[in-house]
Amino acid sequence: MGEIDAVIRVEGLTKSYGRFQALKGVDLVVERGQVHGFLGPNGAGKSTTIRVLLGLLRGDGGTATVLGMDPWHDVVDLHRRIAYVPGDVSLWPGMTGGEAIDLLGSLRGGLDEARRAELIERFELDPTKRGRQYSKGNRQKVAIVAALASDVELLILDEPTSGLDPLMENVFQEVVGEAKARGASVLLSSHIMTEVESLADRLSIIRQGEIVQTGTLADLQQGSRTTIHATFARPVPDAALAELSDIHVDGLRMTATVDASRVGDAMAQLTPFGITALTVEPPSLESLFLRLYEPDADERAS
Amino acid sequence: MAGTAITGTPPLLQAEVRHDGRLLAPWALLTTLLASSSMLYPLIFPTDEDRSAFAAAVGSNPAMAIIFGPAFDLSTTDGFAAWRSLALGGLIAALGVIFAVTRATRAQEDSGQAELLASGVMGRAARLMAAVWMCLVFAIVLGLVTGLVTVAFGGGWNATMLLAATMTATAWMFTGVAAVTAQLGSDARTANSLAVATLGVLFIARGVTYALDAPDWVIWINPLGWMTETKPAVDDDWWPLLAAVALTVALLVVAFVLQARREFGAGAIAPRPGPARGRDRSTWRLALRLNRGPMLSWTIAFIALGLVFGYLATSVTDILGGDAALQQMLAAGAVTDAELVSAFLVTILSLVGIIASIPGVQTMLKVRAEELDDRLEPIIVTATARPRYYASNVLIALGAPAVYMLVAGTLMAALAGAADVGVTFGDVLLQAAATVPAVWTVVALSVAVVGARPHVALAAWAGVLVSFALTILGPTFNLWDWVLAISPYWHVPNVTSADADWWGLVWISLVTLFFLMVGFAGFRRRDLATQ
Ligand SMILES: Nc1ncnc2c1ncn2[C@@H]1O[C@H](COP(=O)(O)OP(=O)(O)O)[C@@H](O)[C@H]1O
Ligand SMILES: [Mg+2]
Repeated sequence: MGEIDAVIRVEGLTKSYGRFQALKGVDLVVERGQVHGFLGPNGAGKSTTIRVLLGLLRGDGGTATVLGMDPWHDVVDLHRRIAYVPGDVSLWPGMTGGEAIDLLGSLRGGLDEARRAELIERFELDPTKRGRQYSKGNRQKVAIVAALASDVELLILDEPTSGLDPLMENVFQEVVGEAKARGASVLLSSHIMTEVESLADRLSIIRQGEIVQTGTLADLQQGSRTTIHATFARPVPDAALAELSDIHVDGLRMTATVDASRVGDAMAQLTPFGITALTVEPPSLESLFLRLYEPDADERAS
Repeated sequence: MAGTAITGTPPLLQAEVRHDGRLLAPWALLTTLLASSSMLYPLIFPTDEDRSAFAAAVGSNPAMAIIFGPAFDLSTTDGFAAWRSLALGGLIAALGVIFAVTRATRAQEDSGQAELLASGVMGRAARLMAAVWMCLVFAIVLGLVTGLVTVAFGGGWNATMLLAATMTATAWMFTGVAAVTAQLGSDARTANSLAVATLGVLFIARGVTYALDAPDWVIWINPLGWMTETKPAVDDDWWPLLAAVALTVALLVVAFVLQARREFGAGAIAPRPGPARGRDRSTWRLALRLNRGPMLSWTIAFIALGLVFGYLATSVTDILGGDAALQQMLAAGAVTDAELVSAFLVTILSLVGIIASIPGVQTMLKVRAEELDDRLEPIIVTATARPRYYASNVLIALGAPAVYMLVAGTLMAALAGAADVGVTFGDVLLQAAATVPAVWTVVALSVAVVGARPHVALAAWAGVLVSFALTILGPTFNLWDWVLAISPYWHVPNVTSADADWWGLVWISLVTLFFLMVGFAGFRRRDLATQ
């Protein structure tokens, strides 16, 4: 594990707010040049982890290294090389978006003028409006432009698209893809699977302050289950449902899941009962994700 | 339509009281303390000689009249209570409701909290209505508690209840003022500043008109003058309170008309498009920009203070000319004109200093507000070191009040120096400059609080309150020197006196330095707030 070139390496990180333990030993490795998805339900500890990585909070235990530096001690040097977009962007009420972009860019050490103009164009942002006039989505665009207009090695994005409409979300995906093509590494947190599915090379899933799964998309897809919705002509006896689990039967209609490798067997057992309607959902990360989100996932897994 | 506009007021009022009620309580506590502690008068000044000596001291320093208003009768306890608590009690009660009205209307609108509520079953005017009701009722409670507690400690029924009623009436009028300014300002800070500035101007104007023995009509055009003219314990006139009720109603009508006309989240003045490119590219420029508006208003305020107090200094001897007891002392050579004027200047410059520390504390609390609003985070996440960010703001918090002091001081010096009253331009300016270190100590306390203990941000005001209580109120309690010495202003020397002790300024500057170090160390080390 020590061999890989990691831009972020977190080991056994813990953090408490008073008596409440928000992080209970988080392990996270982001490889250079990759987009790393950081998934988890609300309150799982994504923002807390990210704030420790940014040196805004000090971790209680464990270690965190960003670009080979200690985020708490080497703040200034480190911050020259990273950019951050928070999920809840708050701007100065009397300052225009354009002014905020220039201020934040200069404080980071300058920004790429051409890219600034191009990003404003692509995100259809009006830079002459004042902070208090922007909607949530537009405030987020300001933060995204400010972050992406400078050339940095590492982008840390904490639910950056929670206020964007689908069109702008596409632009965002393109723009992050381009940053990756330029060689930047990205930590992208979200609570929605589809947001990171298309971008992420690797994923870590956090729940209640602990990483419950980590790996490539393919790794995570393994062992996930296909969902079957079927309507039958005749009642199906229990014996024919042996391959299935998570079974819900409502009269002649049934919903169930089956191991991705055993779909054929299951179908063979069900066909004799006269299938009148059938949908088969391929193993989706969404379902895996949902399963991991359920509070009793631990018991289920064991 | 009027009916539907206020739909939803009762549940909102309930939520408001639960949410904001405890923030109002301290204001009632303060007025109660102020009025009921006056009942200690017989203990502090037991004999008639003590009382007339005290009355002479009060009479010989017009600075006292500016703060407390005129002393109609200091020979009785009720008369003393009225002199000491009427102006200040009204000020406290008015500040309490101003902040409450703004909090319940503007601040909620800024934070988006009101938007959640506005989408529920609620009329457009319901929020303002709930805020107004809460404050009107609170003002009555404040008056009752203040009056009854003071009566319980020995105050005369009629005089005390009238005194308490002036506080209620003042709070009513400023509920109206704040309801109007909440519609005019386009954010909470502006709304508060407008209302507090109105209060400040009327308050100082009242003090000055009484100190100068101005003609009657000048007193009667000032609503705060109506309160003083009730003269509790002397004339016990209740009828000026009717004028206050009428003014309250008029202001509220204006507020509701304005409210019906403006859009959600907007003020009377609509914003225009701004520049697409920014010129402010450092934390220093950012701090300057965020404090620009208040700095402009405060500069104007201190120019006004300097002119008014400077003019007063030139007429101190005239004002005192009618005081027989004082004439005797003057004739006996016990005091000289120059001494009277310089005593006046020391007191009034301490007051100017205490006022100058307010914008300093506000600047530091703005840092905390920025942090809580998540606007500090994007700055710290750039290549900006925390101490640098903090230093930019601390520089403004310390620098601006010093400039205000010197602005007011220069004007006072020019006016007093030009008149032939025995003090030179240099004396007055030096006295103003000597007061600056005390202002810094008070502001530095807020630097320490915001840096190291931001959860108790209200403690940032402790320095302002303590120095006001000890330096301005302390003498009316005849307090021991070691208690008075807690206030940094106590250590400011009288520069015209031969045995001026400058060491005091060194000691309080060491305290300042200590507070600054605590603040910077705390700010560098602590977790930044998360929402
Ligand atoms: N300042 C705070 N004080 C107390 N608890 C907090 C604070 N910030 C976050 N938490 C709690 O810590 C947990 C993790 O929060 P967070 O990291 O923001 O989650 P996420 O970003 O994944 O939604 C949540 O339960 C949240 O309520
Ligand atoms: Mg979060």
